[in-house]
Amino acid sequence: MKVKKQDRAGIFLFLLPALVLFTLFFIVPVGFVASMSLFKWNGITTPEWSGFANYTRILSDKVFWTSMRNNVLWALCACLIQVPLALLMALILSKKPRGWKIFRTVYFLPQVISGIAIASLWQAIYNSEYGLLNGLLKLVGRGDLATNWLGNPKTALTCVLVYSLFYIGYHMVILMAGITDVDECYYEAATIDGANHIQIDLMITIPLIRSSLITSMTLAAIFGLRTFEQVWLLTNGGPANRTSVLVLYLYSQMQNNDYGTANASSMMLILTGALVIALIRGLFSIGRKSSD
Amino acid sequence: MEHAVERQDGRTRLKHILAGAVKWILILFFAFYTLFPLLWLLMTSLKTNAEYFANPFSFPMQPQWTNYTSAFTKANLGQMIFNSVTVAVIATALNLLVAAMAAYPLSRFRFRGREAIFLLFSAGIMVPLNALMVPYFTIFSRIGLLDSLNSLRLLYAAIGLPISTFIVRGFMEALPKEIEEAAYIDGCGFFGRFFRIILPLTKTGLVTAGTFQFLTCWNEFVYANLLTSSPGVKTIQIGVRFFTNQFTTDFVSMYAAIIIAIVPSVVGYILFQKQVISGLTSGAVKG
Repeated sequence: MKVKKQDRAGIFLFLLPALVLFTLFFIVPVGFVASMSLFKWNGITTPEWSGFANYTRILSDKVFWTSMRNNVLWALCACLIQVPLALLMALILSKKPRGWKIFRTVYFLPQVISGIAIASLWQAIYNSEYGLLNGLLKLVGRGDLATNWLGNPKTALTCVLVYSLFYIGYHMVILMAGITDVDECYYEAATIDGANHIQIDLMITIPLIRSSLITSMTLAAIFGLRTFEQVWLLTNGGPANRTSVLVLYLYSQMQNNDYGTANASSMMLILTGALVIALIRGLFSIGRKSSD
Repeated sequence: MEHAVERQDGRTRLKHILAGAVKWILILFFAFYTLFPLLWLLMTSLKTNAEYFANPFSFPMQPQWTNYTSAFTKANLGQMIFNSVTVAVIATALNLLVAAMAAYPLSRFRFRGREAIFLLFSAGIMVPLNALMVPYFTIFSRIGLLDSLNSLRLLYAAIGLPISTFIVRGFMEALPKEIEEAAYIDGCGFFGRFFRIILPLTKTGLVTAGTFQFLTCWNEFVYANLLTSSPGVKTIQIGVRFFTNQFTTDFVSMYAAIIIAIVPSVVGYILFQKQVISGLTSGAVKG
């Protein structure tokens, strides 16, 4: 509707609360992080200008780079393992096999359970003495493989990372919505041309749900970057900081009252997030140009 | 000749059967992967610690409902559930009110700055909120809301705002122009049209956004942990960790506490499944 004069005040009034809340809890905090990352600050005394000292400090810290590497690894695994698995199951369930609604419900279930409860569950599974995983290994006669999954430097990172990759419901639902939106006529044409299911999936469905795939991958990467609870609870970054991630890194700086450095770490996280989003969009648009 | 055709038939049938088998193995694998650990947790939460230590797979000799009562009495889960409910209800109500108000002009009027607001809100969805621990902590300590449930109510209402606005806006946009125009000609003003026409017709959208928002509030842990410290203002997700400390872990009671924290989400999800799923697809996808 075109704005009529008498509606102007109403529009302004209705937008105001949202804009105030958004400013207070999104814009101000990001601005705060950006500016306060240039100060030496313990959270109590007056901040002292320190230029880029906080950044040079974290950039020369090995733990920062380990955390960054783990975050990137996390985002990559989510994009290259979790999303493709979700796509596979979305393609399968979209053909509506018997009970598909029940399976969709089940796959999505972990999404409605808190991250901390799920992480606690996996802590119980990985437990070295009474855990489900070691118990299963003993049950099938491979007790020799049993280990302290979260304490062993060789297995810790994989264990913290891997379990969530197989919770595909979230991305599957996004991709299934994309598949539902594909116009039937494409499928009819392809069937007349004699294409089989796999050809139809690869040549028609996947290219046509490009925007859902971009959404899914962007979200997967962002979730990978903001990971905190599962690492904090399962390993707290250990053993020897091998499993640390950026949010845990900045959290521990905050716990040490090193607010300036924590803000610099936050800023690195926000920038990495922006970079990753730009990268995913860029990659997909290159793909589009070459295919056109 | 006929033979060859038959063989071809046999081969395609075999291919068919194989493809079907792979499909069902995948379907069942993911179902098992999701459900088995949860069912195992449920079963273990009904055992004694001794039974659990002896064999992680055994069934409880006798269901230990005391694990659940001890979760409630020792960890004070009742209080925590109450806290979580009030936080989630108030944060969701506030969130919906503000989101619906913003969604109305954003969906039904064209004005300058509209695109800028979309852009801002889309960027807001993508900001890693965990990176804002220092500013949120500082803001709430400055305004004296630290260690209070009000800080969580306000914060949750705010961080869910972009998604809720997008969801509600989607539903409002779908309403035909004519209904409002008729009311306009009848002399119905801006507020009247919103409260009497648009809002009642967007009920589904509000339920969708509300369900999504409620779940987010119920499940939030990071800021509940960071912004509160007194036992009286803990939420249920903090209660999950009550039975672990550096000396001992009362495993079975902790598992009971986890189940208690999970059950409301699962029940809510099953009741409002359609809303949860369409909330995700209409909110997150457009964002």
